[in-house]
Amino acid sequence: MDDNNALFKVFANGPLEVSGNFRVVNSAGKIIVNEGPVYLCRCGGSSNKPFCDGTHKSNGFPD
Amino acid sequence: MGDPRNRQYTNGEITVFWIPSKCIHATTCFRELIEVFNPGRRPWVNMEGAPTRRISEVVNKCPTQAIIWKHNSDLTSEELAAQRHVTKYEENPETITENIEQPEKPEIVENSTRIKPTNIRIMKDGPIVVEGKFKVIGADNRELKPTQMTSFCRCGDSRSMPYCDGTHRKVGFTD
Repeated sequence: MDDNNALFKVFANGPLEVSGNFRVVNSAGKIIVNEGPVYLCRCGGSSNKPFCDGTHKSNGFPD
Repeated sequence: MGDPRNRQYTNGEITVFWIPSKCIHATTCFRELIEVFNPGRRPWVNMEGAPTRRISEVVNKCPTQAIIWKHNSDLTSEELAAQRHVTKYEENPETITENIEQPEKPEIVENSTRIKPTNIRIMKDGPIVVEGKFKVIGADNRELKPTQMTSFCRCGDSRSMPYCDGTHRKVGFTD
């Protein structure tokens, strides 16, 4: 992955895929995941935030 | 400078400059000091809400320098001319605020043989703030403009997808 650490891939009408060398820190400052790929919710409707749970398919999330 | 949206605010001692084009809505300022930085109010910066030392401390934490500060004695003549309102903040212990739920920055273990991982912060009721070296591929499979820091929308309502534009506050997005 040349000299980039993390790779973000925006899925149309879907989540944000994160892979590579990264770590996800929650609002309390705790590292919650540091291995990919992970899928972060972009639609605002997931019941498993910050992760995607597929809700974007049913809540009509458009980009 | 030059952007008509830029603003400056003073308490007579220091001046805080607001450069909205640089803001990625990391929300550091108002999580730390809502008495001064309150996006729900107009003007959104109240220089009388806290002592100078506390204001400069929080301004220094802005990750993008969308807010910066200067001592008034260091202002250029142009900046002085732009000064709208000058009120001396009066020291009052009741207005000195405590930290509001500021996430601790995790310890970064520096190791010369390993590349520092990209830091991805989930802001409470807010965006995904990314710092470090990274690449972003858009929904159309094209690489987006490279930056060292950005914030992705989590509320689903931004008008500048995939990035945050601050809309989460208007729509009342919660985790």
